[in-house]
Amino acid sequence: MSKPFILHMFTTAKNLSPFDVNMALDAGWISAVPYINVEPSEVAGLVQDVIFSRSPKGLKNTGIFIGGRDTKQAMDMLKTAKNSMFKPFTVSVFSDPSGAFTTAAAMVAIVEDELKLKFDTNFENKTVLVLGGTGPVGQAASVLAAQAGANVRMIGRQLDKTQRIADMCSQEFGDNKITIAAGLDSEKSQYIEDADIIFSVGAAGIQLLNAEQIKSAKQLKVVTDVNAVPPSGVEGLDAFFNGSAIESSTSGAIGIGALAIGNIKYQVQSLLLKKMIDNEDPIYLHFEHAFEMARQYIQSKK
Amino acid sequence: MAKKSILHMFDPMPNNSPFDVNMALDCDFDVLMPYANVKLDSIHRLTQDVIFSRGPAGVKKTGIFIGGRDIGLAVDMLNTAKQAMFPPFQVSAFADPSGAFTTAAALVACVEKELQKNNNQKELKDCKVLVFGGTGPVGIATGVIASLAGADTTLVDHISEGTAQDLASEYNRRFDCHLSGAVSTYDEDKIKLIADVDLIFCTAKAGIQILSAEVLSHAKQLKVVGDVNAVPPAGIAGVGINDFGTPLANTNAVAVGPLAVGNIKYKVQHELLCSMLAGDKPVYLDFRNAYTMAQSLLK
Repeated sequence: MSKPFILHMFTTAKNLSPFDVNMALDAGWISAVPYINVEPSEVAGLVQDVIFSRSPKGLKNTGIFIGGRDTKQAMDMLKTAKNSMFKPFTVSVFSDPSGAFTTAAAMVAIVEDELKLKFDTNFENKTVLVLGGTGPVGQAASVLAAQAGANVRMIGRQLDKTQRIADMCSQEFGDNKITIAAGLDSEKSQYIEDADIIFSVGAAGIQLLNAEQIKSAKQLKVVTDVNAVPPSGVEGLDAFFNGSAIESSTSGAIGIGALAIGNIKYQVQSLLLKKMIDNEDPIYLHFEHAFEMARQYIQSKK
Repeated sequence: MAKKSILHMFDPMPNNSPFDVNMALDCDFDVLMPYANVKLDSIHRLTQDVIFSRGPAGVKKTGIFIGGRDIGLAVDMLNTAKQAMFPPFQVSAFADPSGAFTTAAALVACVEKELQKNNNQKELKDCKVLVFGGTGPVGIATGVIASLAGADTTLVDHISEGTAQDLASEYNRRFDCHLSGAVSTYDEDKIKLIADVDLIFCTAKAGIQILSAEVLSHAKQLKVVGDVNAVPPAGIAGVGINDFGTPLANTNAVAVGPLAVGNIKYKVQHELLCSMLAGDKPVYLDFRNAYTMAQSLLK
């Protein structure tokens, strides 16, 4: 009899996200076991307990999921987990703190697709503004857009904090090959005028972009909003927008709402959880793999 | 529809061990429920919640596993769980904190087997035994098992004689055994201690060499050594990771290495977990059952 599929779910928070638990069990894992309040220093010990209690064959039916709220911590934990294993005692690991990696990946991939479809272009040399950009989704989206060739500016309410997070993203997540700029929320109007793409990824219920500002944007092409709770983060763009024109735009910009992003995010997370089960060799998944999967999924639906 | 089998895993630590989770699911428990940060006070209530929610047929498909790092606490929890139940509302319970009971049981049984094989049917009760790294969970459990088998057993701490003696008296009281405590920080201490011993167990922290080849050459009576450290260097110089009855350099003894012990430990834990679901009667399992199981697996 083959061994049951066990997903060991680590989080630094005091509870797992029920979202991730449902996703894991629906993707085919038989048992989703929570480990809460996990300190990064405990990861190596937990991982070794995972690998030494099953044979290399049994380990093919074993995985580790890393949640939590902190992106840097989740990436560090992914690295630690990978480095705590050795062949043939290895299992797949998937890091998706707050679902931010899959959400950001879905959003950036949809925008990339819309840019090609409606504007016959891509992210290269485009100006991207990330409003409310210091949170987990903003961080991952900034890195993905910058890696695709865009000039990205993260917008936050405190410049020093925003700059620090932008630098961390460039160095840690972008391997120093990208440079993400920082800007103050109170000064965003000047940046909006030249923006090609705007991601609105701030906290739910706060409007970050109004109709007046959209009107001032001379070359705006795509605006996204991950916020499903009214009022939406972008005036005139609701959760159901899926490539529809934004009325106040003078440059023919289109909008992508929370449900369109959420739908792809759901598929991407599910496909990656399944890939952990199906892949012959162990895989280590984060935002870059989520982005690749989102691109593939969007193309496969055409 | 047949009821699913459920293992409730009580752990005083912030998290359960993934080792125990994998083992339990591989023994055909359908569902595992982890309970972390569990205090001794809560065991009675938790156990009653376990038994009263499934009828007398359902309890046969239900078990309690007790983990943690403190073996005294684990045994207290096991006893408390047992006392909270009454026929026919009884489920099987198994204590194996940090895998210490099954590891220690496998270690002692492997060394005992080599002793009998190589020394004219000599038994544990005829032996003088040292447990280096004897104040950690595996070390204490190893000492208790050896002492209950009749060996003259000493727990050795690397820093404090007081710690070793306190633990020896605590566990003597608990399990009615006869442990002593000793300290060995420097090679001189070690040479003195090992001069007339028959068996040495090493359960010290991984990656630290406790006994060098030079020190070992002073152990004139030494018959068998067992080392659970799988990370080089070996805790006892010259012990190979796969050794099982292999002659130990610089001595007249033979060695049992960490993978030989680990292999038996894995089987013992597997068999005990499976036995929780197998019988018609509930079972209550601790290091004693683990030791008996290890002995029978090695026959």
